[in-house]
Amino acid sequence: MASISIPIPLRERAKSGLLGWLATVDHKKIGVMYMVMSFFFFIAAGVMALLIRLQLAAPNLQVVDPNTYNQLFTMHGSVMIFLFTIPMLVGGFGNYFVPLMIGARDVAFPRLNAFSFWITLGAGLVMLLGFLFGARSDAAWTAYVPYSTKSFSPTVGMDIWLIGVILLGIGSTLGAVNFLVTVYSMRAPGMTAWRIPMFVWAMATTAGMVLLATPVLTAALIMLVADRNFNTQFFTTNRVQLWQHMFWFYSHPAVYIMILPAMGIISEIIPVFSRKPLFGLRAVVISTVLIGLLGFTTWVHHMFVSGVDPAIERFFMFTTMVIAVPTGVKVFNWLATLWGGSLNLKTPLLMCIGFLGTFVIGGISGVMQASIPIDQYVHNSYFVVAHFHYVLFGGSVFGIFAALYYWGPKITGRMFDEKLGKLHFWLMLIGFNITFFPMHFLGLQGMPRRIATYDPGRGWEAGNLIATIGAFILAFSVLVFIINVIKLRRGAPAGDDPWEGNTLEWSVASPPPEYNFLEIPTVESDRPLFDARMRTPHV
Amino acid sequence: MAQVSWRNREARATSRAVSAARPQRKDVGLLGVGFFIVSETTFFLGLFLAWFFTRNTSDVWPPAGVAPPPIAPAIFNTVVALLSTVAVFFAERALTRDDRRGLVRGIALAGALGVLFMAVQAAEFTDLATLAQGSAYGSTFTFLLLFHVARVFVGVVLMGVVLVRALLGHFSRKRRLLVQATAMYWYFITGVWLVVFAVLYLIG
Repeated sequence: MASISIPIPLRERAKSGLLGWLATVDHKKIGVMYMVMSFFFFIAAGVMALLIRLQLAAPNLQVVDPNTYNQLFTMHGSVMIFLFTIPMLVGGFGNYFVPLMIGARDVAFPRLNAFSFWITLGAGLVMLLGFLFGARSDAAWTAYVPYSTKSFSPTVGMDIWLIGVILLGIGSTLGAVNFLVTVYSMRAPGMTAWRIPMFVWAMATTAGMVLLATPVLTAALIMLVADRNFNTQFFTTNRVQLWQHMFWFYSHPAVYIMILPAMGIISEIIPVFSRKPLFGLRAVVISTVLIGLLGFTTWVHHMFVSGVDPAIERFFMFTTMVIAVPTGVKVFNWLATLWGGSLNLKTPLLMCIGFLGTFVIGGISGVMQASIPIDQYVHNSYFVVAHFHYVLFGGSVFGIFAALYYWGPKITGRMFDEKLGKLHFWLMLIGFNITFFPMHFLGLQGMPRRIATYDPGRGWEAGNLIATIGAFILAFSVLVFIINVIKLRRGAPAGDDPWEGNTLEWSVASPPPEYNFLEIPTVESDRPLFDARMRTPHV
Repeated sequence: MAQVSWRNREARATSRAVSAARPQRKDVGLLGVGFFIVSETTFFLGLFLAWFFTRNTSDVWPPAGVAPPPIAPAIFNTVVALLSTVAVFFAERALTRDDRRGLVRGIALAGALGVLFMAVQAAEFTDLATLAQGSAYGSTFTFLLLFHVARVFVGVVLMGVVLVRALLGHFSRKRRLLVQATAMYWYFITGVWLVVFAVLYLIG
């Protein structure tokens, strides 16, 4: 590979040990810290989910009292979204791999990057410690007014939650600035737009969405804090829609913030494990950007029963259906990449196939709900719960695990145990579907979401029991993953490029040296490592 | 830079830690400020969204019994903001000619005008507190002013830093990132003020 030399500014010896982590500005260490933090929050929110499922396993159970139940599902949703999925995908994989994939030595603003991480961790601790010490919010992750106003949530828990989310917003907005500048100006020579790796395209689009959406939520949160504490009148009397507009103006794009990076991961893994170039590369890139743009035009579909002007509702019904088109384009491109490929059915590819199956189910139930009459029928029912878990767990979380199995060897220098990996995959796929598929039926049978318990005789018993059993299978699968991570220490050495990858991160050692590239590589196609392999025959 | 020398240093480079950051193109800093300003803009868009939503869902605007704040201080502040922007513009231009005295003068004047702006707003806020708690109109009105003046404060602090560093001789024609960034941010703040003024006071 031809290279360009750029002098490496030498600094003092990297601090080792604890201080080496606490004081680091290295994008890889920050990425690992994001991943560890997010995984910890994943476990915490997973335990909350298990408590929720235990409570609902049978009618009239009282595992926790109704107030605690409300607090549990509030924190489950908030933590899974704000402290697991987004920081794992954007903070974790984004930080670790965007600079490596574009051939840069770090992000554009390393210190700002460290600041983003620490403020995110601080915000997470504010929220979680508040929860552990009894200052709990119970107005759901959507914090709809008037539930979240002083009259209905009088305790300080709501304020703690709001402040936590405000801090998280600051962290992710600054992170987005960093990613955009990095991708724009620090790409390796020769890396033109169509040669940017799919994951980097996805991250840049995501960063753009974070930049444009998050501050609106921040404004709404500050307004709510002021309403609660300084007697301002933003959301009093007939202003509930204002909160919903401002909240969903962020939170619907947030759905794409959570799924686009996962789609980027899938677009990286499938070509490598099919041993083919990505089918329709440009179509995938354009779809990614289109999803990013259209993502800002769909938020009112969360408000079809809120009394919005019907003409406006119809517009948003249309846009919501339209956004399924670029998503469908991507799905068909992935399928076409797999088609006729020489499939290497290792765990990363299995996770991708799991993603395809479950995400498409979630996507289809999404298009169903785009239709106003259907949405009005299933709104606030378990059908919605089933839908967004198929998208966020079946989509984002399968993508996250695909990335962990794919890039784990790069990060740690060790290979995962394939058998345990496959066991993890199958348990997760089965457990996931057992948990969430019955919720479609529960929703159609009229079971509302967020209820703490239910009376027998409504026909909800079987579905709920099955879902609870599934949840424990799902939890067990995560345990298998944790065992696999622990066993990594004795795993086989990964080498630089265990999968015969296409992108630049596989050209450096595993784990990569602190400066990533001794010489900045030059890129001549969208698959620089494939080019390099073609040039140097296998030994 | 010859490749060879770096190959020779490979062993040294791997044994010693190497600072990773190395922008491969110029103007990374200004680009960052630009994207930051985009996010700041969306923050104000959120507040304006609240303003227009509340306005459109109210029968009477401003609500009955709520008197809009006087326009005179706002007009005065508009003039102050525009003057300070002109001062920043000339300060920045002076630096491109390596005229450091011009830089110091311009920034000092702009900073002083920024302080004046904040003083006028502070005098306003004594009345705005009751306005904020009286109605959604008042709350949104106050918040737009409050969050704008918070940015003015940040801008004035930045100009303080620029001023001190200019006096210490840190800036030159080739070394002026912070000056440019401060100027960009100040133009943005003035732009926001013009919109705030138009929406709150002129359109109402």
